[in-house]
Amino acid sequence: MSKKHILIIDDDPDQRLTVRLPLEAAGYQVSEAKSSEEGLGMVKQVRPDLIVLDVMMDTTTAGFQVALTLHSPDPNSEYKEFRHTPIIMLTAIHSTTPLRFAPDSDYLPVEIFLEKPIDIEVLLAKVKELLPQ
Amino acid sequence: MGISHLNGDRAYRTVSNSTRAGNTRNLINAELVVSVSWLIKLRWIAGAGVLIVTVVIENIFHLGAPYTMLYGIGVSILLYNLYFYVSEQKASKSNRSEIYYQRLTIWQTVLDWIAMTLLFHYSGGIESPAIWYFIFHIIISAIFFPLNIAFTISILAILLVSGTTFLEYVGILTHQPLSGFLPQPLYQQPLYILGVLGFYSSTAVIVTFLVGSIQNHLRQRESEIIELTENLQRTTKRLQALNECAKIVGSTLELKQVLERMVETTAKAMEARACSIRMLDKSGRYLEPVAVYGLSQTYINKGPVDGLTNLLARETLSGKVVNIPNAPESPLLQYPEEARAEGIKSMLSAPLLGKNGPMGILRVYAVEPNRFNQEDEEFISAIAAQGSIAIENALAYQGIQELDKMKSQFIQMVTHELRSPVSVTRSLLRTITAGYAGDLNEQQRDILDRAVRRIEFLQKLVDDLLDLATGKAQPKLDERPVPTELIAVIRRVIARYQIPVKEKGITLEFLNKCQCEEIRVYATIEGLDRILNNLLSNAVKYTLKDGKVTISLERMDGEVHLAVQDTGIGIPEESLPKLFQEFYRAPNAKEIENEGTGLGLSIIKDIINRFGGRITVESKLGKGSTFNVFLPLEGVEKP
Repeated sequence: MSKKHILIIDDDPDQRLTVRLPLEAAGYQVSEAKSSEEGLGMVKQVRPDLIVLDVMMDTTTAGFQVALTLHSPDPNSEYKEFRHTPIIMLTAIHSTTPLRFAPDSDYLPVEIFLEKPIDIEVLLAKVKELLPQ
Repeated sequence: MGISHLNGDRAYRTVSNSTRAGNTRNLINAELVVSVSWLIKLRWIAGAGVLIVTVVIENIFHLGAPYTMLYGIGVSILLYNLYFYVSEQKASKSNRSEIYYQRLTIWQTVLDWIAMTLLFHYSGGIESPAIWYFIFHIIISAIFFPLNIAFTISILAILLVSGTTFLEYVGILTHQPLSGFLPQPLYQQPLYILGVLGFYSSTAVIVTFLVGSIQNHLRQRESEIIELTENLQRTTKRLQALNECAKIVGSTLELKQVLERMVETTAKAMEARACSIRMLDKSGRYLEPVAVYGLSQTYINKGPVDGLTNLLARETLSGKVVNIPNAPESPLLQYPEEARAEGIKSMLSAPLLGKNGPMGILRVYAVEPNRFNQEDEEFISAIAAQGSIAIENALAYQGIQELDKMKSQFIQMVTHELRSPVSVTRSLLRTITAGYAGDLNEQQRDILDRAVRRIEFLQKLVDDLLDLATGKAQPKLDERPVPTELIAVIRRVIARYQIPVKEKGITLEFLNKCQCEEIRVYATIEGLDRILNNLLSNAVKYTLKDGKVTISLERMDGEVHLAVQDTGIGIPEESLPKLFQEFYRAPNAKEIENEGTGLGLSIIKDIINRFGGRITVESKLGKGSTFNVFLPLEGVEKP
């Protein structure tokens, strides 16, 4: 059985490293994208099984846009084959985002929100839950 | 016709010293109304008198006379008086104008003179005893009308009597004697005629002069009283306005409100058409309209007012009260045409002077020329002085608020920038300590653990700071306190502490004294969670083994009392006043836990304040502490 592929979309290289190391150690194949644009390109290229997505990148809500694009219910969406690819969203409640408290899945088609700083054990548990071997 | 003149004349005389004719006009009008109704009352008596006297001379004295005419005159007087009575009753109900009453008076006078002349003629002309009845009307006119008019009326009476006598004398009018009244006809005796007419005329003139003079004197007194009353009313009004301004100074710090209330109060107190305040803009040169009462938008937006080139503005800003009696013609005006179009004839400008020089101009506008006197100048000066204080206070308050907001925004920004690297650093360190970057020896692990602990403290500090700053910055609309159920939040937070409480060996109890399963307060769920979490975490942290923590809930008058009581280490008395200050930690708290930010209580105090509630603390060192939180109940008017 081939390794499950996880794509990290985050503009902070240090943050990407802290997510990447434990995931690789847990036996996943990991790719990185450093912007929402690059991320959307990589999704088609590497066809990930799961995406770890940061909210604040080039704009304060760039991550929300990526999630909405990927999980769009529009049948003609160019990303329609990724509509069910699970997304873990990394948020910072203590931020200057217009949305002070993290929105829940009623508002955004995202499987799980994780608040920064990331607890590695929690991250690994959630990934395992979303990607049963 | 004479009467409308004479009333105009009186109006002028009475108010010549005052341009505020409103009150005086009302008084004259009221007097006219009273005199009309008085004349009507008297005329009932006069008409009835004519009829009674006719009955008496016909039936008791059996004199010969043209009785049909005499009865006719009496009945006519009563009939036209009935008409005037009805008209006057209607007019008093519908509050008719002064002109209407003047017309009514003229018509009454004309009809009265006709009736009297007829009565005179049909009761024997120069032989008639009714001749003296003319004196009544002469007296009445001398009371109500100015002297020249009264003389005109008495001369008219003399002419009517003399004319009738003459026409009877020469035979153009048929003499209508009361036969049996005089032994022989006298109407053609020149000496008798001259004698009676001479005494009659002199009586008329002397009565007019005497009554008129006395009345003039009284009238002068009356107008003095009216003027004094007016002055008194004006002074009272101004004192009230000053008092109002003093109240404005004390009551509100909102600049816009202060200015708007000031212009309205000033315009009303000075009975002026309009009032405005212009303030110097940031450049300190141009005057911007900031509060206006009674002016059109067109006039307000007439163009820029430059404090350097606009002569009126420059003069006022130099610290003087400037009185312009002839507004559109004044060379000081920059916009005379606009003032003319607005109907402004007088202006009074006063400087608003602050501690650091002029701040703006308070100006009053009137539609009458030559309107403002020295008294007005003094008054506007007083108002402007009061207003300047109010404006300075409001500006200072505004400045402080802006500064506080800027400070919060700055802290928020800085903290956010701090938070991100701290958070990532911690995650990076954790990947190493968790072994994802290879094995560590014991010393390396120990050092990294220490680093992680330090970073975790820094992170908590930054989080708390950010909360404090966010709370102080403008609360967002969707975070406004709404009716929120409290008991569920209490139970949820208590559940969170079940394990730590068991581990520490202390008991945690919830006493619901309000006998209800739901209670709603003005708050947000996040806020309530934060308040309870903070108080409970403190209580658990500072309570030693075998101690007890009690949360109690009680409904009080309009609010909910939530108490978190512990049997912990307590708070030293000298620390109590500083407890809610940012970064303050009681010395004995530091002994229990070294790493605390001292921000928790100031954050929750801020949240509780935003909910319209309050927090108090009681404590005894070594015995325990109680934190009391009061929150407004749903449905209770919020302060």
